[in-house]
Amino acid sequence: MKAFNTLFKTEFKLSLRGMDMFIFAICMPVMVMVILGIIYGSKPAFDGAGYTFLEQSFGAVATIAICAGGVMGLPLVISDYRHKKILKRFKVTPTSPALILAVQVAIYALYSIVSLVFVYATAAVFFSYQLSGSGLQFLGAYFLVMLSMFSIGLLVGGIAPNIKTASVLASILYFPMLIFSGATLPYEAMPSALQKAADIMPLTQGIKLLKAASLGLPINSVLLPIVVMTVLAVICTGAAIRFFRWE
Amino acid sequence: METAIKVNQLSKSYTTVKAVDNIDISVCRGEVFGLLGANGAGKSTTIECILGTKKQDGGSVSILGMNPQTNRKKLFERVGVQFQEANYQDKIMVAELCEVTRSLYKTSLNYADLLKQFGLSDKSKSQVSELSGGQKQRLFIVLALISNPEVVFLDELTTGLDSRARRDVWKYLADLKAKGLTIFLTSHFMDEVEALCDQIMILKNGKSIFHGTVREAVAASPYEKFEDAYLWYTDEEEKEHESI
Repeated sequence: MKAFNTLFKTEFKLSLRGMDMFIFAICMPVMVMVILGIIYGSKPAFDGAGYTFLEQSFGAVATIAICAGGVMGLPLVISDYRHKKILKRFKVTPTSPALILAVQVAIYALYSIVSLVFVYATAAVFFSYQLSGSGLQFLGAYFLVMLSMFSIGLLVGGIAPNIKTASVLASILYFPMLIFSGATLPYEAMPSALQKAADIMPLTQGIKLLKAASLGLPINSVLLPIVVMTVLAVICTGAAIRFFRWE
Repeated sequence: METAIKVNQLSKSYTTVKAVDNIDISVCRGEVFGLLGANGAGKSTTIECILGTKKQDGGSVSILGMNPQTNRKKLFERVGVQFQEANYQDKIMVAELCEVTRSLYKTSLNYADLLKQFGLSDKSKSQVSELSGGQKQRLFIVLALISNPEVVFLDELTTGLDSRARRDVWKYLADLKAKGLTIFLTSHFMDEVEALCDQIMILKNGKSIFHGTVREAVAASPYEKFEDAYLWYTDEEEKEHESI
């Protein structure tokens, strides 16, 4: 535990020194929230909707940090640490290289949670947002999204042969998901063909889940997303563990 | 005397090359063992197979009576390692790297003292990436010693150090040796090997071409200086080729 704490503290400091996660996971979602608030204010999501556009978007915006950490931050840091042989150095100490990976997962989880808090505070304070659904369900869905996105990141970081491949794969995953899953551009504003294409992305499913939880919509429409996210998390985590390369 | 490192019939091949070919090593507690050889002779592969970071194809290894593959966690509480290349996180500071390394062990030394011994006191707030080659090298010796190990592996101990710093490192290691530390090192500096090593092995193409003391190595060669003798051992084959 001492090792975990010290490593967590140090790695978190290093990550803050890098600034990228602070920008992409904290500042960006808050900015998106502010912009959506200014544009849509308290307009209803669609004619006759029982909730506002902002309320509908909250779940999506809250995933920006998960997306940044899971499919950008995690794979890059893992392949970087393997490339720099830091994982190898951990192998000749009494702890295991898995410790440093666990620390990274914890750091990106922390970024996501902090981001969620900030996004919520921004929405609540400036645009009088209130979570109309179940907070508990929302958090459950949030952690499920985190689990599945992080498992993708671990898989990419774990098996990419080098940092270049990892970075290309991360970009291929990150940008389409960020833009088309509804995390930044509202899913509802997209043409239906694009929506259908976006539906294959796990984050789109996750966001649907979060929307349902935050708006208090009935649970039957969310069974498919739950199944998709869970299966994905199991497959990716399993594959990451099975095929992980320390060197 | 008690054996600290025992290697039997160690072999390791990469696709086509035999990197390590049937090597036997036995190092007693408190001894300094030097593994010598040109670049690519198989020194680092040998060390990595001994440490268990590479899996050998054949043979057995035991350090302090433990198998490095199966007893890894227990073993590395008592064994320090300095790899040939420095591995560290971007933007990490010297003190942070020491603190993190220290936290991995149950017991550890005060790293501020170690940094001082190795002339790095004023660098503890510097980023590791900003250190000179020699400073980095010394820092990684500090990290290998931070857990107060019983056995330490130092791959290319003083590469990049100036003469003064090398002497300081020798003196420090000699003191630790006197206290019972077992040292396994590789080096390209024959003066260093002469000053420190009780026992040496010269590798060539993965095979041991000499195993014994420095004095024995000199005696068995036509030369009087160890460096000449060493070159004679490692060049022998080429000379034979030339004469043909």
